[in-house]
Amino acid sequence: MPAQGGHDNVTMNKIKLLFVMLAWAVAMPAMAAIDTIAVDVGISVFKLMPIGIVPFEEEGKIKWTNEAPHLILKRDANLSGRFEAVPSDKFDLVLFSKKRARQYVSGTATKLSNGKIKLDCYLYAAETKDVLLGESYTVKPHEVRQAVHAFFDKVVYRLFGERGVASTKLAYVSKIDGVKQVVISDYDGFSRRQITRDSSINMMPVWQKDNKGLVYVNFRHNRPNLYAISFGGKETPLFTQFSQTFSPAVNPKTGELLFSVTDNGKTEIYRGDMKKGSAQKFLHLKSNQVSPSWSPFASEVLFTSDRGGSPQVYAVGNDGTDVRRITYMGHYNERASWSPEGDRIVYTSMDDGKMNIYTCALDGTDITQLTSNAGNNEHPTWSPDGKLIAFASDRGGNYQIYIMRKDGSGVTRITNGAENTSPTWSWFFGEKKFK
Amino acid sequence: MLRWSLMLAAVGLLAWGCSKDKPETDPNPKTAPEQPADSTLNLDALVADTLSADSLARLEAERLEAERARLEEMINRIMLDDVYFDYDRSELTEKAKVLLAQVAEILINENRFVVIIEGHTDARGTEDYNISLGARRSMAVREFLIAYGVDGRRLVPVSYGKERPKVQGTDESAYSMNRRAHFRVTIE
Repeated sequence: MPAQGGHDNVTMNKIKLLFVMLAWAVAMPAMAAIDTIAVDVGISVFKLMPIGIVPFEEEGKIKWTNEAPHLILKRDANLSGRFEAVPSDKFDLVLFSKKRARQYVSGTATKLSNGKIKLDCYLYAAETKDVLLGESYTVKPHEVRQAVHAFFDKVVYRLFGERGVASTKLAYVSKIDGVKQVVISDYDGFSRRQITRDSSINMMPVWQKDNKGLVYVNFRHNRPNLYAISFGGKETPLFTQFSQTFSPAVNPKTGELLFSVTDNGKTEIYRGDMKKGSAQKFLHLKSNQVSPSWSPFASEVLFTSDRGGSPQVYAVGNDGTDVRRITYMGHYNERASWSPEGDRIVYTSMDDGKMNIYTCALDGTDITQLTSNAGNNEHPTWSPDGKLIAFASDRGGNYQIYIMRKDGSGVTRITNGAENTSPTWSWFFGEKKFK
Repeated sequence: MLRWSLMLAAVGLLAWGCSKDKPETDPNPKTAPEQPADSTLNLDALVADTLSADSLARLEAERLEAERARLEEMINRIMLDDVYFDYDRSELTEKAKVLLAQVAEILINENRFVVIIEGHTDARGTEDYNISLGARRSMAVREFLIAYGVDGRRLVPVSYGKERPKVQGTDESAYSMNRRAHFRVTIE
């Protein structure tokens, strides 16, 4: 049992659990109203920055497609892993001071005669009401969400000097008419779109470099095979020289793929060029190897091997040499993935038939259990800024996608309906232009 | 197990018989319908016969195809018995070896069968690791059959990991039924 965090961690988890349950109870009515989202405020061991959120002034009666801008900003703030939203019906310096919100966001929304909406979004210093940042977007009603996400990412950049993830997306597997299909959505679960249509099995989606499309696994030939697919639906079979291929991982710098090949009962990792179709064996080990994952600068690779008799996480240089073992606790540690911040690894561990998510330092020490006592929790994927982890859990009965902060706090469900599994976070997108 | 042995023996004979039948045509001549007394009917039949020289060949091909499909369905029904494995293991159990020895006997005697050996796992663990585990299971079965004398080119191993459970459920009774190698037989 890898509960090696010590007593502090166990107590911490208990407190966390209590908060999770409380927050669920509180969030329930809101959930019903909004239809996909449950928010759990939780507690974080990282310091969150309080930020005031004030409703936009509206000129002309505006019918919002799903939510008013300040509600989108509130969700972005609470999901970001950086902020804690301090909502207020109007500017309220007393409240903001009490809650230590030194800045607040608000704006005006104007309905234009051509049906579009003009959003003037501002970040203010609370004390002086000085404008720290102002952005204007003229968009169609259904684009409001995207515009507000874009503004929120500018707020993150203004206050942290780092890129935010409000404009990023998730790819995941959704059971549609009983068939596993690959879908994408905004990082908060909105704007969902089905990408695959094949009626066999579609799974293991990952994002191509620059978010140009996805790579995924399909069983149309009654065996696992890799395919590339564009968001327009154009498919290309990959590495057809192998009979069974799966576990794709995209190099964040070059776009080349690491993936598992099964031949003669043995599963090994290969390194291949998607465009040329060529591939070479990446590791020369006697063991089976699955679940490769690149480090942020592609200098190293994590993978799982059963060389010690049970699946454990190993690291290796990007030339395939210098293999070192990372995980030692427990009998099943799999699907490791390197934080974009570079300093931690997240992985899934199975104990007593239950899957849970852990992080550890690069040398395997400082193990922290992020999920516990809430069904199975698996397939963790980092947000591109490394502040958040999306994962799949059956804690609510069936499998759904959740987001949490990198310390395990703030667990938020972002999908509902039929089973949703295997999330993979996109890379950052370029700045969106609204026409 | 007894069911297995008996049915295998039956199918073995049947399959053997069918393959010998293959070149023979229908013993009833096409010109002799059920009611030979009626002469006009005979005439019609005669005309029909001359008109459809190649439709006869087509009928024969259809008959062979139906025969093939019937045999394929039967062998798949018999080989519905799966090979089961212990948790996170791909070694064959003693029980599995007894079963596989019988499978090997059929396959050696009937060289038209191509067998896809599907490796499956229970629902625990990751998708990725379970595909590699299923691959090891299908390979363990394949190697046993080859060692028994079956031509390896007719044994195609594939892994489904945990994607196609036979039994839904999250207890050991479901898990144990899902840790299996399943045969899908086609006839060339």
